[in-house]
Amino acid sequence: MIPHLVTVRHRRPGGRWLRLYVPVLPVLLVLSPLLLLAVLAGLVACLATRVSPVGALRGTGQLLWALPGTRIEIEQGRTAVLVSVR
Amino acid sequence: MNEQRRQILQMLTEDKITADEAERLIDALERQQPESPQGATPRPNPRPKYLRVVVVDNSGGDGPTRVNIRVPLQLLRAGVRLTSLIPPQALTRVNAELNKSGVPIDLTQLKPQQLEELIDQLDDVTVDVDDPDTKVQVFCE
Repeated sequence: MIPHLVTVRHRRPGGRWLRLYVPVLPVLLVLSPLLLLAVLAGLVACLATRVSPVGALRGTGQLLWALPGTRIEIEQGRTAVLVSVR
Repeated sequence: MNEQRRQILQMLTEDKITADEAERLIDALERQQPESPQGATPRPNPRPKYLRVVVVDNSGGDGPTRVNIRVPLQLLRAGVRLTSLIPPQALTRVNAELNKSGVPIDLTQLKPQQLEELIDQLDDVTVDVDDPDTKVQVFCE
């Protein structure tokens, strides 16, 4: 299953939290024209470096599918960054 | 209901024993078969799904630094599969650079299957580093 929601939280030195909720599917839909260009650029890069485009596409898909559940929390003093993929 | 309990109840219905005796017999039967309920088989431990890395560093003067990372093992597997796409000429160059840096590792000998086996065996890995100021834990959950 592809990620549904990416949550980014940033605590500034002042102690205030900045929360950013990114719904992945709507954002992908909005950015789909750019995504198409990126896929084309990736295909060209694969052909130039003699990497199998199908393998690269499959690998990227598997990577994307495996992302849900990832959680990264870094806290230093009064500053903190939390990234969560659901 | 097991066979012995059934026999006790049968004797009770046939008036071979009194209700008190039946109760005592059932109590004794329960004492002989402790904890494990009937039909319950021991469940194997579920396989871990995540790799956790926890670092707590108190050496800095600006308060403690905490890093808490949870990565799905499936993501590691997907990443390992991606390494099979690295073209051989790139591996040769990486090998040359590693050699130059004093790390004589031949990456071309590393097969994706071996890396996947490595990930599979990560389940039981636990790394605990305890320092007065720093604590590092790596484990699967």
